[in-house]
Amino acid sequence: MSRPYESRVAWQNRMLLVPALVLLACFILIPAGAAVYISFTNDALTGFAAAHPQFVGLKNYARLFSDDGFWNSLVVTFFFVFGSSIVGQFVLGLASAVALRQPISFRPVFNAAILLPNAVPEVVASFIWISMLAGGKYSTLSRIVGLFGIPSQNWLESVPLLMIIVVNTWRGIAFAMILMTSGLSAVPAEVYEAARMDGATPRQIFWRITLPLLQPTIFLYMLVSTAGTIAIFGLIYTLTRGGPGGATEIIGIYIYNQSFTAYQLGYGSAVAVIMLGVSVALGAIYVRVLKVQV
Amino acid sequence: MATISIENVRKHYGAVEVIKGVSFEVADGQFAVLVGPSGCGKSTILRMIAGLECVTEGDIKLDGKRINDVSPDQRGIAMVFQSYALYPHMTVADNIGFSLDLKKVPKATIRKEVGQVAELLKLSELLDRRPAALSGGQRQRVAIGRAIIKKPRVILFDEPLSNLDASLRVQMRAELQRLHQELRPTIVYVTHDQVEAMTMADTIVVLNQGNVAQCAPPIELYRRPKSTFVATFIGSPRMNLIKGIISSKELTPSFTAAEGWTVPLAGRDLLATDLQPVWLGIRPEDIRLVDANSAADLCGKIAIVERLGAETYLNVVKGTETLLVRVQGDIALRPGDTVRLALDRAAFHLFDQADRVLPA
Amino acid sequence: MIGLHKFTRAQAIAYGFLTVTVVFCLLPFLWVVLASVDPNASLFLSIPKGITADHFIKIFTAQKGARWFLNSLVTVGAATALVVIVGGMGGYALSRTNAWWKRPFLYAIILVRVVPPTALIVPLYKVMLFANGVMGALVRSIVPPDHVRSTMHIFGFVDGYFGLILVLSAMQLPLALWIIKTFFDLTPKEYEEAALMDGANVFQRIHRILVPLALPGLGAAGLLAFIGAWGDFLMPLTFISSPDLQLLPIGLFRAFQRANILDYGYLSALALLYMLPAVVAFGLARRFLVQTFTGGIKG
Repeated sequence: MSRPYESRVAWQNRMLLVPALVLLACFILIPAGAAVYISFTNDALTGFAAAHPQFVGLKNYARLFSDDGFWNSLVVTFFFVFGSSIVGQFVLGLASAVALRQPISFRPVFNAAILLPNAVPEVVASFIWISMLAGGKYSTLSRIVGLFGIPSQNWLESVPLLMIIVVNTWRGIAFAMILMTSGLSAVPAEVYEAARMDGATPRQIFWRITLPLLQPTIFLYMLVSTAGTIAIFGLIYTLTRGGPGGATEIIGIYIYNQSFTAYQLGYGSAVAVIMLGVSVALGAIYVRVLKVQV
Repeated sequence: MATISIENVRKHYGAVEVIKGVSFEVADGQFAVLVGPSGCGKSTILRMIAGLECVTEGDIKLDGKRINDVSPDQRGIAMVFQSYALYPHMTVADNIGFSLDLKKVPKATIRKEVGQVAELLKLSELLDRRPAALSGGQRQRVAIGRAIIKKPRVILFDEPLSNLDASLRVQMRAELQRLHQELRPTIVYVTHDQVEAMTMADTIVVLNQGNVAQCAPPIELYRRPKSTFVATFIGSPRMNLIKGIISSKELTPSFTAAEGWTVPLAGRDLLATDLQPVWLGIRPEDIRLVDANSAADLCGKIAIVERLGAETYLNVVKGTETLLVRVQGDIALRPGDTVRLALDRAAFHLFDQADRVLPA
Repeated sequence: MIGLHKFTRAQAIAYGFLTVTVVFCLLPFLWVVLASVDPNASLFLSIPKGITADHFIKIFTAQKGARWFLNSLVTVGAATALVVIVGGMGGYALSRTNAWWKRPFLYAIILVRVVPPTALIVPLYKVMLFANGVMGALVRSIVPPDHVRSTMHIFGFVDGYFGLILVLSAMQLPLALWIIKTFFDLTPKEYEEAALMDGANVFQRIHRILVPLALPGLGAAGLLAFIGAWGDFLMPLTFISSPDLQLLPIGLFRAFQRANILDYGYLSALALLYMLPAVVAFGLARRFLVQTFTGGIKG
């Protein structure tokens, strides 16, 4: 062969990556870059600006600051992420993981049941929750809480934010559970035995040994889960469309509504850029702090 | 004909030079062993011969032709990997016949050749099994079968016996030698075990940190090591090295150990090294215990006794030096006893600061 | 004796908690399962007074359900195949290379994975519009006018199978690359080297050695890509407008938005059908879940 073997192999490797690179570049990287550009224009889907988008500098970003809708969506997103991912999924997932490590039977059944909400597509998840929540006194939730004397209501209209937090918690328990299980199994059994020999109660063991040892896993979970929850769209859009009155307009829905309902591409891009920035920051923390192996 | 020449080969990994100008030759049909401690570069050189690593400088020649740029599948060289690398999803028969199948040899021919190789290696019963269902020794033989079916000019072995237990290793050593005698390919064999090297090789290349320390047939390495590295690497248990100086002013030059005892060095031209610090090398089997009536070169106290039944090893301490002495059979001595030692004059090896001093 | 007592107490708490959690998780499904076989299905949970298979049958005989299912199957199936092939090649190269671009590329993959698709949707739409224009011009120059529309339905970037398949693939590609790369990291190079020494050229090595050895990794990547693309809502929502091309999630969504013609039995049956492949794939891919979720931290 004319060319040295090693350089041929290097060329082959580069060629093998070209299709992946093309796909990623065309549909993710270039749009990401373009988002930044568009956010500086007044591009729109209809009207004069659609044909002749003009560069408007930071006007979109300035508009963001004074836009109640934007701040509202930030607040909504914050509560959404905090309530479902940081609190709901985490607590229930950790508790499930701990519970499943006990010597009980039917473990695969419990496991599968908790996994199911995560396995179904988003649209199905929201479809079945509509039956749970909509329809006033006929909704399943109303009928359940009626047993406890709580008046039935149109849940998606009276406490919409709380409801989407519940729905997303329901959906994400499995994720937290799997990660916590993996973290728990990394704690050697001897540590617990040594603690028992030292006379620690189960509560002390949990708070002073298990949790601290789980810390890296917990941190990893928080990071990945936050990034994932911020990106949620379909689940909530199909449930509430962001309403009523923006009460559940998480940031993904806000962008979609601004861009494709209000047709303001430039403005929507500005919000998107902010979202991108936050996500990239999260990703950078993910890589740095957790020393990802490459 | 399949002679291999390694000429001044160097290899860099980035800024680090791992092979620092290695040269040696392997004649047609020879069994050459590359031996040395971990990290000496022996596997790297083997892989360069195979073509799996590239050569930074220097030439690798097969039958006089430079093959540096020939890709591995074109060199006509077969390799037996340390981990055997048997294709896990294929049967033994398919594993062995793979190279023929790639060349679109008719299936009947493949079956026949695989059958022959299997018989040679006693694998005939195992042809339908998968590698996972084989023992270590069996896998090894399949790897060898895969190599020899190609009737290659050269076979490379990368530490093939290191994954086997001790008794199997002894068995396989004999098998490999038998194969070599029957098929007569040129073999380049890498190992860190000097016993394997000594028992199987026609010629041994001792490597140390990317350099050739010495290249010679086994017995010559044993009898005439050129450096303290080779002297202590070859031969088990290892050679004793004693610090001292030479005084060559008298009629007979002599060696005076740091501990004070002296032995004459007859028949050597040592004027150039007068009063130089040297190392005296003597193997444990060349030291005798003598009783009070015979002449002794030194006395020492026994620190440790290792009884192996057929032989006994004594750690004898003299001042700060410890000498390992081999005694045939068992002996009624214990730690703390004093012994008198006589050294075999003909078995001396003298080394100055770096290289060896020759006898006249 | 005391130890035994505590043992049981922990078990009891575990059983109790898990039972409540499981009820919470499974309760919403109760309605959709019952409604799918209830001849008088409504939006509200009720015990069916009879069982019928009509709803399932209707999916394939009337209305759009079968069409949506087929569209999803074709596009998501093609996207999965594309991801496995492109990801297989790329993951292999990423694993075996030591070039300067390896690290940056891998970091880029992680960063891309945390990017929310909603942030990309606007510029992506513009890119696709542009590409669609180009494709449209090309098609119009080759194909006779009455066939242009149907051809664009296949090859168009916006409102066409081709574009949707590409977009779905791109969204699932980062995870697939990571899984396959990690998989090859754990596969010793010696098999390829042995094949080299046996005289195999590049194609023979890929076909006879690499692909059979990589099947578990490719399978995992394929399953996860399928699950992701099957459930994707945003991409078909944004890019498909023709009713004939609509995918299952959008069809389902639009159907239960229409206030007048609502057949909940039919929709429930459809939802179950939609759910089924995802659940099956999820079940098959369970072993690889930890890997996905940790994004490769643990190997």
